[in-house]
Amino acid sequence: MNILESVAAGIDEAREHRGRTFLSLVGLTLGTASIIAVLALFGGAQRQSEDFLAEVGGAGSVIVRNDLGGRIELTPREAASPQLTWRDVLDLREEAPHLKYISGARHWYLRYTGPRNSFEGQVVATVPDYAAINDIEPLYGRFITEMDLEYRTNATVLGYSFADSLFGSPEAAVGNVITIGQERYNVVGVLTREEFHFAAWSGNAFEYRNRRAYIPLTTALKRIAGDDKLVWLTLEATDPMHLETAISEVSDVLLRRHRVRDFSFDRSSEDIAEGTEFFLLFDFIFLIVGVISLFTGGVVIANILSASVVERVREIGTRMALGASGFDMFMHFLIQSLFITSVGGLAGVLIGSALTSTVEKLMQFPAHVTPGIFFLGLATASFVGIVAGIYPALKAARMDPVEALRYG
Amino acid sequence: MSGARGNGGEPVVRTERVHKVYHLGKVEVEALRGVDLVIEDGEYVAIMGPSGSGKSTLMHIIGCLDSPTNGEYWLDGEPVSSLRGRRLARIRNRKVGFVFQNFNLLSRIDIVENTALPLRYLGGMRRGARRQRASAVLEKLGLGDRLRHRPDELSGGQRQRVAIARALVNDPSMLLADEPTGNLDSDTSKEIMKIFRELHSQGHTVVTVTHDPNVAAEASRIINITDGRVES
Repeated sequence: MNILESVAAGIDEAREHRGRTFLSLVGLTLGTASIIAVLALFGGAQRQSEDFLAEVGGAGSVIVRNDLGGRIELTPREAASPQLTWRDVLDLREEAPHLKYISGARHWYLRYTGPRNSFEGQVVATVPDYAAINDIEPLYGRFITEMDLEYRTNATVLGYSFADSLFGSPEAAVGNVITIGQERYNVVGVLTREEFHFAAWSGNAFEYRNRRAYIPLTTALKRIAGDDKLVWLTLEATDPMHLETAISEVSDVLLRRHRVRDFSFDRSSEDIAEGTEFFLLFDFIFLIVGVISLFTGGVVIANILSASVVERVREIGTRMALGASGFDMFMHFLIQSLFITSVGGLAGVLIGSALTSTVEKLMQFPAHVTPGIFFLGLATASFVGIVAGIYPALKAARMDPVEALRYG
Repeated sequence: MSGARGNGGEPVVRTERVHKVYHLGKVEVEALRGVDLVIEDGEYVAIMGPSGSGKSTLMHIIGCLDSPTNGEYWLDGEPVSSLRGRRLARIRNRKVGFVFQNFNLLSRIDIVENTALPLRYLGGMRRGARRQRASAVLEKLGLGDRLRHRPDELSGGQRQRVAIARALVNDPSMLLADEPTGNLDSDTSKEIMKIFRELHSQGHTVVTVTHDPNVAAEASRIINITDGRVES
């Protein structure tokens, strides 16, 4: 008896024992579906956190902070250091060849007054590179340019929500004038509306970006701050490979200017790596849970098949008398088990995929069943089929035809 | 389905000093004590004996369901006493056609599939061809109008005819029937015996194992077994 005939026999068997087959299928299907859904959802959660980190300040970008170790009493050198300043940015632009972007910023809360509205809100004073690092794009007009920095212009770029509430509609803002604090600014651009939801029911995590305006850093330092201090700098290397080189270049320049190490570096990519490890652990735990439930299904199948072998001793004897070898009977039961579990596995994979895409749609959650997850689910179910089938199949194969024919 | 085997005049069954010992716990039971037996091609033989005489054991060995503990057995000229497992199963499949007292049909499949079962284990035949051959045999046995029926939709006599068709489908060297009328009423028994007689007249080798003298009387030769030995 060849393999195809055993498959046919397995299909016959499944068809002849519909109720029994159905019951074992339910267990397997649920087990596989849970593995698929869990892997897909956790894969999605992981990707989402990476997306978020990339958007807020990016994988591969490094933040330089003023860092005095939290002490209030300063050494004379520390006290003498100017700390991070606009001059640092200008020098770094010249002297750190492996920097692609460098930005610094200052924030204030000031009163906005436009033709339609007046309110308090955040003002971010920054440089053109800020847009590149933070992936910001103007919807209308432009972002802050080098010219704005050089001439300390009164240009402002509005976040989407601010443009909307100050002018009634975002497209009406460009070319008009608003007051921020004591100064009048020309609106030169409005930014694209930014949106990010961790889940459908949670608010827009990026709404704060729509509720602010950007002005040139040099303008703000002269008109609002009166000094050139910065709280932090964000930088990106020309290539992720050169990140460490870029950091040491920056470190050298800052040490020379400050004469003391009063700054530190934050690599956001390290956070992502930690987050990934965390999710891998969860993947593993849930995978184990899914596998255990699948194996429970497998034990049920082994049980049912064992009962089926006992029930059919005489039939096995007859088949053997007609020329079936022990191996034929072994294959008969093994393939039968493999067939049932594969069908259950396939159904489970499909249900798991459907479940995942439902979650994806209803909750705006970026879960995704990858081909790897798909085949892992199928392979696990098939493996369970083989393991569950071996005992009953061996039992059938080892039967003595004479004893089997006499049975019952 | 010609009866002529063309095996160079070799007997279908030849045994030499066949012994069979069973171990029941620590007790040794000698079921066969040196059986010498020859059944020629085309013979109709009945093996008779009371229960416990060893006739079932002899049938199992002749039918290649079991192997002798000692002694030699040639089936159709082939030495088979040392064969086990898969190779013995192949011999069984090609050379022996079993007919059982309880018919032993599979109730879940139609009679064509039942009849075609030995062809499945023979290998090398597509399902369509198997069904075709099985249907032809069933038609010869007068079941042409029942092909789609399942065994439990048939009478006892019809079921035994299906079992005979199944035994014949691989064109075996011999038909080996174990109490073929044991579960049938006397009229039906006569009908089945008639079929055996016809098959014999067509050249088939028929061996029946029975304790019913009426069944044995149909055969051209009776072999009596007592205490594990052939009575001469």
